[in-house]
Amino acid sequence: MSTERAQNRLAFWFLLPSALVLLGVVAYPFFFNVYISLTNWNMFHFRNPEIIGLTHYIRIFSESDFYRIFGKTIAWTAINLVFHFTLGLGAALLLNRKLPGRNLYRALLILPWAMPQYISALTWRGMFNAEYGAVNILLAKVGIGAVPWFTSEFWAFMAPVITNIWLGFPFIMVIALGGLQSIPRELYEAARIDGAGPVRQFFSITLPMLKPVLMPALVLGTIWTFNNLNVIWLVTDQGLPADKTHILVTYVYKAAFVYYRYGYAAAFSVFIFLVLVVIVRGYDRVAREEAY
Amino acid sequence: MVPAMKNLVHRNAVFNTILLLIMLGLVPGMVSCGRVDRSRSVTVWEQMDPKEQALFDIHVEQFRREHPEFAEFDIGRVHYRTEDLQTQFQTAALAFGGPNLVYGPADKIGPYSIMGLLMPVGELLPQAEIDRFRPETLPVLDGHVYGLPDHVGNHLTLVANMALVDSIPVDTDAWVPQLRRLTVDEDGDGRPDQYGLVFNLLEPFWLVPWLGGFGGWVMDDSSRPTLDTPAMVGALTFMSGLKESRVVPQECDYPLADTLFKEGRAAYIINGPWSWEGYREAGIDIRLASIPMVSATGLWPTPMTSAKCYSINRYLDPATRECTAALLEWLTGTEVQIDLAMGLGVQPGDKAAGLVEEIQNDPVQVASRVQIERGRLMPIVPEMRAVWDAMRPGYQSVMNGALSPEKAARDMQKMAVTMIERMRE
Amino acid sequence: MSGGRLAGKIWNHVWVHALVWLLVLFAVFPILQIVSISLRPGDQLYSTSLNIIPDGATLDAYRIMFTEKPFLLWMRNSLVVSLGTALIGVALASLGGFALSRSRFTGRGAALQGILMTQMFPATMLLLPLYLLMRKLHLVDTLGGVMVAYVATALPFCIWTMKGYYDTIPVALNEAALIDGCTPFQAFVRVTLPLSTPALVITALFSFMTGWSEFMVARVMLASKELMTLPLGLESLFTTYQTEWANYAAGSLLVCVPVVFLFLVLNRYLVSGLTLGSVKG
Repeated sequence: MSTERAQNRLAFWFLLPSALVLLGVVAYPFFFNVYISLTNWNMFHFRNPEIIGLTHYIRIFSESDFYRIFGKTIAWTAINLVFHFTLGLGAALLLNRKLPGRNLYRALLILPWAMPQYISALTWRGMFNAEYGAVNILLAKVGIGAVPWFTSEFWAFMAPVITNIWLGFPFIMVIALGGLQSIPRELYEAARIDGAGPVRQFFSITLPMLKPVLMPALVLGTIWTFNNLNVIWLVTDQGLPADKTHILVTYVYKAAFVYYRYGYAAAFSVFIFLVLVVIVRGYDRVAREEAY
Repeated sequence: MVPAMKNLVHRNAVFNTILLLIMLGLVPGMVSCGRVDRSRSVTVWEQMDPKEQALFDIHVEQFRREHPEFAEFDIGRVHYRTEDLQTQFQTAALAFGGPNLVYGPADKIGPYSIMGLLMPVGELLPQAEIDRFRPETLPVLDGHVYGLPDHVGNHLTLVANMALVDSIPVDTDAWVPQLRRLTVDEDGDGRPDQYGLVFNLLEPFWLVPWLGGFGGWVMDDSSRPTLDTPAMVGALTFMSGLKESRVVPQECDYPLADTLFKEGRAAYIINGPWSWEGYREAGIDIRLASIPMVSATGLWPTPMTSAKCYSINRYLDPATRECTAALLEWLTGTEVQIDLAMGLGVQPGDKAAGLVEEIQNDPVQVASRVQIERGRLMPIVPEMRAVWDAMRPGYQSVMNGALSPEKAARDMQKMAVTMIERMRE
Repeated sequence: MSGGRLAGKIWNHVWVHALVWLLVLFAVFPILQIVSISLRPGDQLYSTSLNIIPDGATLDAYRIMFTEKPFLLWMRNSLVVSLGTALIGVALASLGGFALSRSRFTGRGAALQGILMTQMFPATMLLLPLYLLMRKLHLVDTLGGVMVAYVATALPFCIWTMKGYYDTIPVALNEAALIDGCTPFQAFVRVTLPLSTPALVITALFSFMTGWSEFMVARVMLASKELMTLPLGLESLFTTYQTEWANYAAGSLLVCVPVVFLFLVLNRYLVSGLTLGSVKG
């Protein structure tokens, strides 16, 4: 009984520094934004904004295109996550075996993560150029026709998706590699003796044992991808074609930094925050049995 | 404990000690402060091109020699990209901090002054100083002058690769057929190996000259957008015509246009003064000319010209006022402006500098000046942001063939009006 | 019979290698493009030829980065910030994650959710108030201030990862140590921590990368030239339309080197620390 008390006291001290840092750095900015979301802070009311209540929130829904952009954001997030995890997990499984040169392969596969995002995004942008880009040239060599990457709304959406998949899968690979280490060999041995094939082993042993380590990456990956402004902005040059490739955050960015509508941008941000809270709660429901 | 684990623990002891040592070594690094003492330093935040930066540093050196009384001040510049500069300046000024002077294109001044971040020049320098400038180059809002230009430029010009071009036509009726002749597909793969013309097909900045050439402009004298006009339709039709006759590449953004011209695969490029030196260095024999006159209207295209100005941060440290004033005067002084004009191919804003002989006679200056004279100053009011943003999608859609010029013009106007309303809420 | 099994094994090997090669190609091809840019004279971002080694290739960009630009200064600053973030991150997350994994106190669920929620707000809007706050604390224009922000950014993922990993370590091991006479803290340090090296590796790498490649916060917080980190330094190569592409590409490639090096060092620790046998021990 006293051990439990001692454990709890230890827990408190263990958590305290983290709590301080997080609260300090994030709490104030968050409440600041909630406050200004209720004011008319913009270029014309820069020094003395006044409270105007929930006007901005109502505007979010009435300003055109909201539902399309929302849908795009969901699609963007979902597609990215699926491929990040498939490729990342796949790579980890392949490189967990005793392969000659596997450390070299691992180091090469980590390059997309190591490379500064800005130039990678711009390079991909160049590769997607309809006439001169490497992607279309390679497609032509393989026999598939050239894709109108930036002139079609659909393909202009796919271009940053592909880029982001490239940027993100190494991260999942590293986490999966770490997670795979915690699975004891004996479990696989036992399964093989029982007659289970590799697919069965994967679904009964590997995946469940990886879950606790992969869950943070999945949940946080959802949040990060949802809010990822940079890649879309850079690859489509601020929303090609004709401003059609936007997700929710790029909208916020424009409102704040192009139009100086800070109050509105803050309200939009709070809205995005609430959406994410709901989504993560959804994850929680699904992963009920192991989270706590 | 299990023996196997004892080994792990021992290994970790070594690891942990090394870690501890590294941490201790880092502590001095962590607390290193580069904090600048604001009362002893005069900073300029800028978004200059590399050449401008180099010239700036030289001019500051000269200032220090001429003004030993300010020796105790630390004068320097911090470089940002244009969009960044704006965000950073606003953030810093909001906290009553920031640089002494902020340098950038005049259209940024509109928003800054509305937000109350700038000190009118008249509060720091005598009126005589301000009168030194050509009035049309001064950014004025609400009757106050908010910046002093060190040059006027930023104008798109026609740049020809003389290895591919015999003579530069004066109007579009002669020019367009020439472009067609200059677009060559040597290996017959359906993709031209040489284009007649390249330019940025994405940014409406390249649309504006033609808009003027067809008799229109982006806004009227009351800063209301005028995008749904026959002139706009004419300009868009002309430009998409260029695309349809395939004298320009399918998807052409700025870096691609730049690359194609540098590789000698384009006869003409429409680009601004910041780029000309790069083309010379790449070995292209370039000549500058005005963008050809629109035959249909008899008007010259009007590229937007912009003054680049130094503006004063309202919240500069009072101890630095004198030094800031002197520095501002120096950096926009006649001598410096001549230097910049010759070095960058731009026009001085200072009246006296414009009359100097070298400026009058240098061929690059002459070509450049002619184009600037045919151009038009960019409006500096904040509504301009909405106008740019409204023009961009329409322009891109027409160049893609997705929208008709008439519909695009209507959409642009509607969007501009809506965005301006929203900005003013 | 054995011939069939051998053929099966070779087939397996071929498949595995083929897949790995495909992935590597996917990962590395754009990097090769960046190498081209760095070697190409004339600051051209795009090129019409697909050659990896361009005509007139030159190592000038690399030379310029080291001699004309304060690249080493940028690297020093970034190393200080990133290593600092990594160390603090690992320290705080290993402790915090353990607390959230082992103990059951009221508000534990809320704490877990709360930590997650700090990540959900779009970063662009947090910058301005963060700047104001840091100014009040006199942490503006210091490397320490930037580090604090980075630790806060990296912590949620790190805490959750450590917690998840700790959850897979049987409590029995801890209890064995307690029975042996260790205090709870000693049990933590001597038993749990060494077994979590893979998670510590992930945490360290992630925290390092948070500091290494971050731009926006550094941009807002740091104004002095002497404190520029690598992302800021590379940004300074941009101007409105003209960019020193070759230098930028060279700089970016150089920026990768310490990360890959760090990964290779830590890769050794991505090793299995726990086998079933030890529990039966």
